[in-house]
Amino acid sequence: MLRYVLTRLALLVLGLVVASALVFGTLRVLPGDVAQLVAGTEGSPAQVAAIRESLGLDRPALAQYLEWIGGVLRGDLGTSLLTGTPVSAELAAKAQVTVPLGVLSLLIALAIAVPLGVLSAIRRGRADGTAIGVVAQLLAAVPVVWAGMMLVVVFAIALRWFPAQGFPRGGWADPGAALQSLALPALTIGVVEGALLLRFVRSATLLATGEDHVRTAAAKGLTRTQALLRHGLPSVGLSIITVLGLQIAGIVVGAVVIEQVFNLPGIGRMLVDDVGNRDLVKVQGELLVLTGFVLVIGFVVDIVHRLIDPRQREST
Amino acid sequence: MNRLPLRVTAVSALAIPTLVLAGCGGQGGDGAPAGEPNPDASLRVGLVLEPTNLDIRHTSGAALEQILVDNVYEGLVTRTAENEIVPALATEWEVSDDGLTYTFTLADGVTFHSGAELTAQDAVASLEEVVSDESVVGHDDLAGVASVSAPDDTTVVVELSEPNQNLLFTLTGPAGLILDEGDETDLQSAANGTGPFTLEEWNQGESIVLARNDDYWGEAAGVAEVVASYIPDFTAGVNAALDGSLDVLTAVDPQLAPQLDGANGFSLTKGKTTDKYVLAFNNAEAPFDDPRVREALRRAIDHEALVEAVGAGTLQYGPIPELDPGYEDLSDVAPYDPDRARELLAEAGQEDLQLELTIPSFYGTTIPTFLVSAFNDIGVELTVDPVEFSTWLQDVYTNGDYQLSVVNHVEPRDFGSWADPDYYFHYDSAEVQDLYAQAVSTVDPEESAELLAQAARLVSEDDAADWLYTAETMVAVGPGVSGFPVDSINSRLDLASVTLAG
Repeated sequence: MLRYVLTRLALLVLGLVVASALVFGTLRVLPGDVAQLVAGTEGSPAQVAAIRESLGLDRPALAQYLEWIGGVLRGDLGTSLLTGTPVSAELAAKAQVTVPLGVLSLLIALAIAVPLGVLSAIRRGRADGTAIGVVAQLLAAVPVVWAGMMLVVVFAIALRWFPAQGFPRGGWADPGAALQSLALPALTIGVVEGALLLRFVRSATLLATGEDHVRTAAAKGLTRTQALLRHGLPSVGLSIITVLGLQIAGIVVGAVVIEQVFNLPGIGRMLVDDVGNRDLVKVQGELLVLTGFVLVIGFVVDIVHRLIDPRQREST
Repeated sequence: MNRLPLRVTAVSALAIPTLVLAGCGGQGGDGAPAGEPNPDASLRVGLVLEPTNLDIRHTSGAALEQILVDNVYEGLVTRTAENEIVPALATEWEVSDDGLTYTFTLADGVTFHSGAELTAQDAVASLEEVVSDESVVGHDDLAGVASVSAPDDTTVVVELSEPNQNLLFTLTGPAGLILDEGDETDLQSAANGTGPFTLEEWNQGESIVLARNDDYWGEAAGVAEVVASYIPDFTAGVNAALDGSLDVLTAVDPQLAPQLDGANGFSLTKGKTTDKYVLAFNNAEAPFDDPRVREALRRAIDHEALVEAVGAGTLQYGPIPELDPGYEDLSDVAPYDPDRARELLAEAGQEDLQLELTIPSFYGTTIPTFLVSAFNDIGVELTVDPVEFSTWLQDVYTNGDYQLSVVNHVEPRDFGSWADPDYYFHYDSAEVQDLYAQAVSTVDPEESAELLAQAARLVSEDDAADWLYTAETMVAVGPGVSGFPVDSINSRLDLASVTLAG
C-alpha cells in the first residue's frame, strides 16, 4: 500500500511539472501581449518596447519560466503584470465565489443523479425507468449557456425568485443573499452535470445487480431490488467516487462559461479577462492552481478507492 | 465578451411577453422622477468595458478615462459632452497672439484627496513628467512643449516651440491631469486626485466604487456614492437592470434595447459619440493600391441599411465625426451604387476578388455578416477572421498584416492617423499631411477647422477607407435618476451632476 501511495505521489508531481510547462508554453504562442494592450491604439512602437522592458517581457522565455517555477516552489505565484497585486490574493478573493459555486453544483448533480440513476436501473424496461433515461440523455446534451438563460427567464425575470445576475458587493457578509445569487448558476451546472452522472450511476447499478454477492442475496429470498439496495450499493458508491474527479473537471469548465452568463466575479470570469488582457503571469498561476486542484482530487480519489475496496487492498 | 449565439437571442425574444406581464404587476413606474434628490443616495451604474488597471498615467484606453477623468482626477481644462473646452483646475487661461505661450490661472483652495494642497508646482511637475517620460500616455502629443513653469503660486505657463491647435484638447485628456508632486500612491490600484469623488474601492472583474469628496473645491457631487459595475455580457447587463440591481445601464445593445424601454420605469436616451467604426483598407498592398477597387468596395455598402441592422448609429462618410472640428457632410463622395461598383471592378480587372476581413470578435456578427453579403453582391468573396483584441493589436495595428479590418476608433480629434503613413491604414498622401500640419500650427481655430475639413475631404475622395457609421450610445435611465449625461459618455462620464431621488 505504501509503495502504491508513493508511486501515485510521484505521478502527481510529474503531472504538475508537465502541466506547468504546457501552460507556460501554450500561453507564449498566443499573439499579442500586455504591452501592446497597455499602449493601446495611440501607442508608438517605442512606447510598447519601453513597457515590455519594464515588465521583464523582453527576457528569454526559459529565464521567465524558471523564475516563475522558482517562485511557485517558494509558494509565491507572482504578481499581476497589469495591477501589481499578488496572484494568490486575487485567486483567494475570487475563490469565494467559484468554490461554493462548484460545491453547490456538485451537490445538486449528486442529488439528481444518485436516486434517479438507481431508480432508472431498478425500473429498467418499464415506462418510468425509460423516461428518466431519455430525459437524462436530452439534458446532458443541452448547452450550459442555454440552460442558464432559460432558468433566468423563468425564475429570475418572470417569477423574481432569484437575482438574474451578479453577486452581493459584501460577498458572504450576508450568506442568504450570496446563496441566492449562486442558486441559478449552481442549478444550471448541476442539472447538466447531473444528467451526465445519472447515466453513469445507472450503468454502475446495472453492473452491480449482476455481481455474485448481490445474486447470492437474491437467491436467499430477497427481491432483486432489496438485494441491490443492501448489498449492491457500496460498489456503486465506489464507482461514483471514481468519476468524481472527471465531474470536478467538468464543473470547473462549466464555471468559466456560467460566470460570464451570470456576471459572477469568480475565477472563471477572471481567467477569461486575464487571457484577453494577456496578463500571462496571472493566467499561469490560475491555470496551474486549477490543474493542480483537479490532479490532487484524482490522487485522493485513487487512494480512497484503494483503501475501501477490499479486492484492491488484497492485491497489494 | 462575446455576443451570445443566435439561439440565445431567441430566448430573449421569449422573455418579452413575460416582461410585459411583470410590468403589469405594479412594478413599473412611468419614468417620471419621484421625490426630491437624496444627497445620501448610492447610484448604481452598469458599464461594459473595465479598465485593466487604474494607472491612467501609463495605461491608455477609453475605459480608464471614462471613469477617472473629471470624477477622480482633474486637469487644468476639461471638455463638455459636445467636446468644447472649458475650465477645470484653471479658472481662466490666455493664449499669446503668436500661439506659443499659454498662461493658466489656478483655482483657489484646491486639495488632493490625501489632504495636500494643490500648488502651481504640482501642475508643472505633472506636465513635465509627460513631456520627459516617453512611457507616459500622451507623451507624443506634448512633444512641442518647450517649457512649463510657475512664475507664482497660482500661475502656470506652458511655452511651445511652435503653435499647436491641439494643445488645449490634449490637456483635457490623461496627459493634462494634475497629480500631487512626490505622492507615493500606487497608481495601479489606488488614486489620489482633486476630483469630486474619491476612489473608494476597486473589485477587479466586478466594480469600482467612488465616494463623494466632501472637501471638493467646486460644487459637491449629487450622490454620496457611485457603484460602477462592469458587466461585459450585454444580456447579463439587461438582466441586471431588469432584476433591480442597477439605476442606470450604459452602452445598451440596441438589439436588446426594446426589452428595457418602459420596463421597471426605465427610459432610453440616445447620445452622440466620436466612436468611428472604420473599415480599413491596407492601402499599401494590392489590390488596395488601386483606387478603383477601394471605391468599388465603398459603393457596395448601403450605409443606411447597415445602421438599421446594427440598430443605432449616425452616417459618416469621412474621417471626421460630427462632434469634432472640421466635420462636413461627405455623403456625396461615394454613395451606394452596386452597379458602378461592379463596373469599377471590371475596369480594374478584379472580377474574382477574394478578400479577408480581420475583426475583433467582441463586435459581434452583425457588421461582418452585412459586409459579406454586400461584397458578395458585387462579386467579391469575403471571408471573416474574428480575433481577440490582443491578436488584432499584434497582427493588424502593430504589424500591418491584414487586408480589411473593422475596429471602433473611439478617440475624438484623431484625424492625425490619416497624416501618418506608418499608421496601420498605410495611407500616404503628401497633400493631406501638409494640410494637417497647417491645421495644427494655425493659431485661429476656425481656420484650422477649415483646413481639417479640406484634408478630410481629400481622404474620403481617395477612398482611403470606408467609414461604416459613427455609433450612437444608448443609456437606460431608471426612475428617480436625473442629470445623467447623454453624449460622449464612452470617453467622459460626468457623474458629479447626477442625482437620485428617494
